[in-house]
Formats: sequence, structure tokens, C-alpha cells
Amino acid sequence: MRVWVVIAAYNEASVIGRVINEVKRRGYTVVVVDDGSSDRTAEASAAADVLVRHPINLGQGAALQTGIDFALERGANVVVTFDADGQHRAADIEKLVQASRTADVDFALGSRFLGCSDGMPVARRVLLKAAALFTQLTTGLRISDTHNGLRAMTRRGARVVRLRQNRMAHASEMLSQIAASGLGYVEVPVSIEYSAYSLAKGQTIGDALTILLDLFARRLYR
Amino acid sequence: MIAQTVLSMLLIGVVVYAASERRRSPVVALLSIIAATAGLYFTWTPDHATQAAVWAGVGRGVDLVLYIWVCISLIVLLNLHLKLRSQMELITVMARTIALAEARRRFSEKAAPPQALPQPVSSDWGAFPD
Repeated sequence: MRVWVVIAAYNEASVIGRVINEVKRRGYTVVVVDDGSSDRTAEASAAADVLVRHPINLGQGAALQTGIDFALERGANVVVTFDADGQHRAADIEKLVQASRTADVDFALGSRFLGCSDGMPVARRVLLKAAALFTQLTTGLRISDTHNGLRAMTRRGARVVRLRQNRMAHASEMLSQIAASGLGYVEVPVSIEYSAYSLAKGQTIGDALTILLDLFARRLYR
Repeated sequence: MIAQTVLSMLLIGVVVYAASERRRSPVVALLSIIAATAGLYFTWTPDHATQAAVWAGVGRGVDLVLYIWVCISLIVLLNLHLKLRSQMELITVMARTIALAEARRRFSEKAAPPQALPQPVSSDWGAFPD
């Protein structure tokens, strides 16, 4: 079975090499999408099986879609998305892949609330809980963690995902598409290791408002 | 009369613009058309404008028309924002196409490195005499 791990990276030169090595050590094919980084992210990603470079910075959603497209094109059976900032554990990938191989399941979504999220600030916990509630109300999906970057999807599932939200709203958009597709999903407990680095790159309340505006604006035009 | 004519021409322009945008952003087009039509009506019926203004708590009819104009400006601004987002999506598609084409090329080269150019075969044919 061909499992491709997609890592979207923007100015992650200091951590991306370690992240790639941890994933590759477990035997997965890694495609890194360098989203127009201005640092040495591309050079630091030399260990990746494939490096796709956006000529300009487009956003994490756009980078993930590019990586998913490439993986599908190369015949991936399962596509896994994995954050570049080192907060995910490569050991969790296997759990997601196994879950996605279950009958009637096309999406295995990582959940830090079912797993471990030591060191998560209270404000972030509240924000993520609010996002989960919003998603449940708008999509009907019963999930506990809406903005977890660690997820696995079957080939059939990946073909349903067409991200048009370039920035952070892509996570909510993907969940809407999963709900609209009617394909099966399951949440899998995963661990998030918060560090000063990943917290600095995380979302704030201001970002949450931007996400809401992006989702609303997308409904106003075709 | 001059002011009414100028304002009417501008509002008609807004209606035409909104109609041309209806396929891309129907909500914005509808809002623009409603606001511009109301503006046109009140421009030529100042008494009704004053009555509506009093009812709305604005006071003077001319102020109501002015507020409608501000609303139209904001709606058009929103439409420009949406247009920019739409353009960004096109840029994304183009950038992705370029990135994927380049990645495909590098991936193919990695999978099957280009063969070294054949060494020229030493023969008399084509050799220059000393």
C-alpha cells in the first residue's frame, strides 16, 4: 500500500529536516510543499522524496491541495497530511492509516482531545472547542477537534477534497466537503506536543475571526 | 435638476455594473440593484424620500439618499474584495500548475537519471588530417 505524507511548509527551515526524517524513518513517502518560503526550507527538505515549490506564498490550504494532487497523480492509496512545525508524532500516522483502511471509512481525523495535548494553553483549548461546536452546527459532523493538521484519507476521500480556501480556513472547508460527500470518517486519538515554536505559529482569536470571514466571503461568489 | 440627473446617471451605472456581476456574485449584485433602485426612486421623489427619512429616523430626505449612496459604495467595495479573492484563486491554480510541472520533471529525473552523453567514437570518419 502506498502511503504518501504531505507536509506543507512555510519558513520552517529550523525544524523541517527533523520532521521529514522522523516520518521517513517509518517508511512513508514524503512530499514537502514549500509554500514560497523566504528562508532555507527548500534546502532543509532535501531528505524528502519529492519537493514541490510554490513560486509565491499562497497559504497552507493551497500547499496541502498541491501536495494531495501530486500524491494522487503518483498513485497514492492513502494520503496523510502532517504539520511541518514538529508538533505531531510520526508514530500516530500508522494509527490513522489503519483507521482509514476500515470498511466505510475514507477519512481518519486526528483528535488531540481524544488523545494527548499536554501544554495546551487554556485560551487555545477554548478556541478549539468553540470551533468544534461551530463545525458541528454548520456541517453536522460529530467531531471533537476541527483544526488538527494530522489526518489520513483514502484515495477516494482525497479526490473529494478540493480546497479553495488558501489560508487557515481550509480545515473547516475540508470538513464541509467531507460532510457534503457523505463519505465515512472516524476520529483517532493523537498527541500534540506543544513547543514555544509551534505555539508561536498557532492560531489566535484574530485568526479565528479571519477564518469565519473567509468562510462567509466564499459563499458570496462562485 | 442637474444634481438629480448626475446622481441618476451614476445610479444607473451602478445598476448596469451590478447586472454585469450577477453571475459571479449574485448576492452582491442583488443588494446593489436594490440600493441603487431605491436611490433612483428617492432622487426623483424627494417628498417620499423625506417621508421615508422621517420614518427611518434620518430626518431629511437628502440625507437618506446620501446614506443609500454610502451603502452602495460599501457594497461595491465588497464586490471588489470578492473579485480580488477570485483573482487570487486563479493565481493559485497557475502557481500550482507551475509547481507541479517542475516537481514532475525533478521527480522523473530522480527516478531515472538522465543518461550520460555517449562518448564520441574514435574513427577515421570525420577526422581532420594533421
